[in-house]
Amino acid sequence: MPDADAFDLTPVPAPPSKRRGRRRTIGVLVVLVLAVLALLSQGLLHSLNYFETIDQAMSARTTLGTSTIRLEGVVKPHTINRTSSGASFWMTGGKDEEVFVNAHGSPPQLFQASIPVVVVGHFTSSTSDRFDGTQILVKHTASYIAAHPKRVKAPNGTTR
Amino acid sequence: MIRTALLVAAKDLRIERHSRVLLWQVLPFGVMGLVLSGIALGPTHAGHSSAGPGLFYLVMLLVTLLMINRSQAIEGSSGTRASVATLGLDPAGVFLGKALALAVELWITGVVLLAGAVLVLHTALVGTLQALPSVVLILAALAAAGTLYGALSGGGQGPATLLPILALPAFAPLLIAGERSFSASLHGATLWQWWVISLVALAAYLAIGILLYGVLEDS
Amino acid sequence: MKQLSLRLLGPLTLVLMGLTFWLGLWVTPPDKIQGNLARLVYVHPAVAWVALYVSFGTATIASALYLWRRTRSQVMDRVAHCAMEVSVVFILLTLITGSIWGRPTWGVWWAWDARLTSTAILGVFALAYLALRRANDDPDLRARRSAVFALLAAINVPIIHFSVQWWKTLHQGATVFTANRTLLIHGLMAWTLLISFFAFTLLFFWLLRARYRLEVLRGERYQVVLDEALVQRRREGVR
Repeated sequence: MPDADAFDLTPVPAPPSKRRGRRRTIGVLVVLVLAVLALLSQGLLHSLNYFETIDQAMSARTTLGTSTIRLEGVVKPHTINRTSSGASFWMTGGKDEEVFVNAHGSPPQLFQASIPVVVVGHFTSSTSDRFDGTQILVKHTASYIAAHPKRVKAPNGTTR
Repeated sequence: MIRTALLVAAKDLRIERHSRVLLWQVLPFGVMGLVLSGIALGPTHAGHSSAGPGLFYLVMLLVTLLMINRSQAIEGSSGTRASVATLGLDPAGVFLGKALALAVELWITGVVLLAGAVLVLHTALVGTLQALPSVVLILAALAAAGTLYGALSGGGQGPATLLPILALPAFAPLLIAGERSFSASLHGATLWQWWVISLVALAAYLAIGILLYGVLEDS
Repeated sequence: MKQLSLRLLGPLTLVLMGLTFWLGLWVTPPDKIQGNLARLVYVHPAVAWVALYVSFGTATIASALYLWRRTRSQVMDRVAHCAMEVSVVFILLTLITGSIWGRPTWGVWWAWDARLTSTAILGVFALAYLALRRANDDPDLRARRSAVFALLAAINVPIIHFSVQWWKTLHQGATVFTANRTLLIHGLMAWTLLISFFAFTLLFFWLLRARYRLEVLRGERYQVVLDEALVQRRREGVR
């Protein structure tokens, strides 16, 4: 018969892990907050941009060469020439840099003068300001302005 | 926590060394994945494509899914979970240990597949070597994230089809970061930003895993 | 009072939705640049608002409350589950209406820019949450794992919100919640946009309530079926 004293089944109190758990939780949350701040503060994410602006592209010409990029700019008024295969036009950037675009494929419905566009294509050479485009995307702004704000009254009294 | 992590990592790596699953199954799968990528690109583009970095990381993602299942299955053998639970191991330490072991296995696979990328996908040797530090960081982040999602998917006891749908959306940002950093190194662009992003992702997943791993285990 | 407001929820939702569509399709003027294409502004932003903030936010908060011991309850788990199901529907609608709008305006059905990509990833996260729930039979384990997953998925929401500020995207920036608090829509168009936000938000709560009631009934039916099965088995044992 085994000795009863050899088996001490008295419940043992749990170790004080609650304080360690709370300190660890706070430490982890601090790390997470620092991680987010690190990402946001240094502008580390600009490499995920969908397009290059004309000014960025012109300053990085030697790096870009003739590789395919998406170039963003505003269509210069009175420069659009629609052809059977697409359209050609001048595009301006924020610092008045200009690029001549020769795009193949029909432009979207909203394509017009003074509208921001993103053109997929490549520069024809490392030094040229001519851009060969394969696709035009219109980047409409976030502003919504009513057409015909001053409604015109027809002679019969209806408004248009 | 650190002691537990090292014990668990050593246990997993010892099991791997004895079973040789990585050597005989995972590495051949990865190499086959790269070869199939080259075939899919076609003979015209296979050697000249800029898709090399993306394809490398895509194959690594598939390898990671295999390794996560393997890592969780080790705990799934009869009686193991109950034994580990009764030992009273710190769940955070278990998480760190499994993530560390998975990271080591992914690093070994990554080095082999980088060599494969140079041979099969013709990525430039110098650029590929320059990409090595960012690859190490990204794979470590994948290991940390994968260990967490492996536990979420049931720790090897849930259906095998659950892990991919849980983990792949979370892996997508790491895939983007990996592809961009590898491409940047091939073009001689600056890399330190991608190292920082990868380090931030690694720190975040480690922190989340330490915090939440214990909640995911069976009560 | 609570019963009255619940009874009024459905009719009020229908009235506001009807008002939104009437104003949006017939009364408001076309846009100066986009013309009648801009009428989708009374649907797409409101649907996206519900998808990202209202429904996903409800699921996230309920999940967090479930994980916190003081507020842990089956109600929180059910609310999180139901809200996430509705969220899947609204995320899908966001992508579809955005696609329909994008084709004639941008010129493409889809673009891999930051906002669209991160929204699609959020949709996959939501589907993965539902898959995770079906994979676990133990209610408590299922609830805990789902709650953790929802919190992880919610990291994506601020990324989507700030995507148009952090990166150069094809998707337009904010029209209402702009960085310098300037409203870029005015007059009847602005009021209709506001009504649409209310309408779709009420629609979410209407759908959530219906789905929650279904979930409760399902749970009760399961219990009844289980009890009947146990009685049947005992009877067989007695014979």
